[in-house]
Amino acid sequence: MAVAGKTEVLLAGMGEIKIARGAGALGCIGLGSCVGTLLYDPHTGAGALAHVMLPEPHGDDALRMPGKYAVSAVPALLKELGLTPATASRLKAILIGGAEVFQNRESTLRIGERNVETLSRLLKELRVGVAFSDTGGNKGRSFEFDLATAELVIRVVGQPPQVHQLSRVLGRLPIAV
Amino acid sequence: MTTELTALRQDALRELGNIGLGSAVTALSDMTGVLFALEVPEVYELDTTRFSRVCHSPECLVVGTVARVEGDWPGEGAFIFPWESAITLWQVLAGSAPSDLSELNELYESVIREVSNIMLGSFLNGLSQMTGFTLHMEPPAFAADMAAALMSSLMVEALYGQRELLAIQTTFRVPDREFQGFFLYLPEVGSLEKLFQTLGI
Repeated sequence: MAVAGKTEVLLAGMGEIKIARGAGALGCIGLGSCVGTLLYDPHTGAGALAHVMLPEPHGDDALRMPGKYAVSAVPALLKELGLTPATASRLKAILIGGAEVFQNRESTLRIGERNVETLSRLLKELRVGVAFSDTGGNKGRSFEFDLATAELVIRVVGQPPQVHQLSRVLGRLPIAV
Repeated sequence: MTTELTALRQDALRELGNIGLGSAVTALSDMTGVLFALEVPEVYELDTTRFSRVCHSPECLVVGTVARVEGDWPGEGAFIFPWESAITLWQVLAGSAPSDLSELNELYESVIREVSNIMLGSFLNGLSQMTGFTLHMEPPAFAADMAAALMSSLMVEALYGQRELLAIQTTFRVPDREFQGFFLYLPEVGSLEKLFQTLGI
């Protein structure tokens, strides 16, 4: 099981991108409207994770922090995995987050929903299949994905952690640890 | 986006936080019959590590509200209460409290929204008296979730809505009791200059 403390978890903070190859774990803490966008390469066992905040740039820092925005994060993740749009279709995506944590707003910005919509569209254009998604709703999420075991743990406040075994949907057998 | 501030302007924002939240806390004391102590306000750039001021872990349960402010100094006002502090508020104001998240119902939600409504309203009144600004607010939206999810959602909205990631934060406590409340004001980009001009600094 991907228990914190056993395997080192590389946590992507807001707007950050983290990479792990073959071993180790990737994760995000406290995703509200943000979306943890993980691209996994079944050929190499590498994974790249962006903590996406908004669909498009609102400001001039997309170059400095490409992971912040969906439109810059997806190409940056491909680049980190050494792939191009032509070779991207072998990747599998995991999307987690995109909630609307504040309820009964007079005017909702639907940021979480729009993040997920934009990411899904960009991935579809690249023919990257979404192997697993847990998005929307009104609960914040934390998650950890262990690359060696392909086990995904999602935590929501007030609920026991949910464990998902993704070896099959990611198209690879787990490596024995 | 964050505007660089001189020491004088930082002081002015802290003082504003002090006066504004002074009236807000007085309103809360009137409502609850409990005396609250105000800490010296801080002015800082909002980032994800700030949850540590609110509670011990990014995943600890907090209750919060956010309300849009319109008028001469637009922005967003947010309150955050650690779960244990919210319980204190519920016990004083509703006579009972949910034992866990699953028991959080509309009544408890409305207590927190009402507290925020009255406090933010008083904060804005205090500000109006100091500056002559006309300010009004939307009803607060409510959330109960992990601290990091609330803080990050506030940050994302600030980024999206062209608000300063600059927060004026004040903590209020009940001496000898498990209670802490956090207030944040996130002004709209460009609106700070107007405020400083009005204050003549």
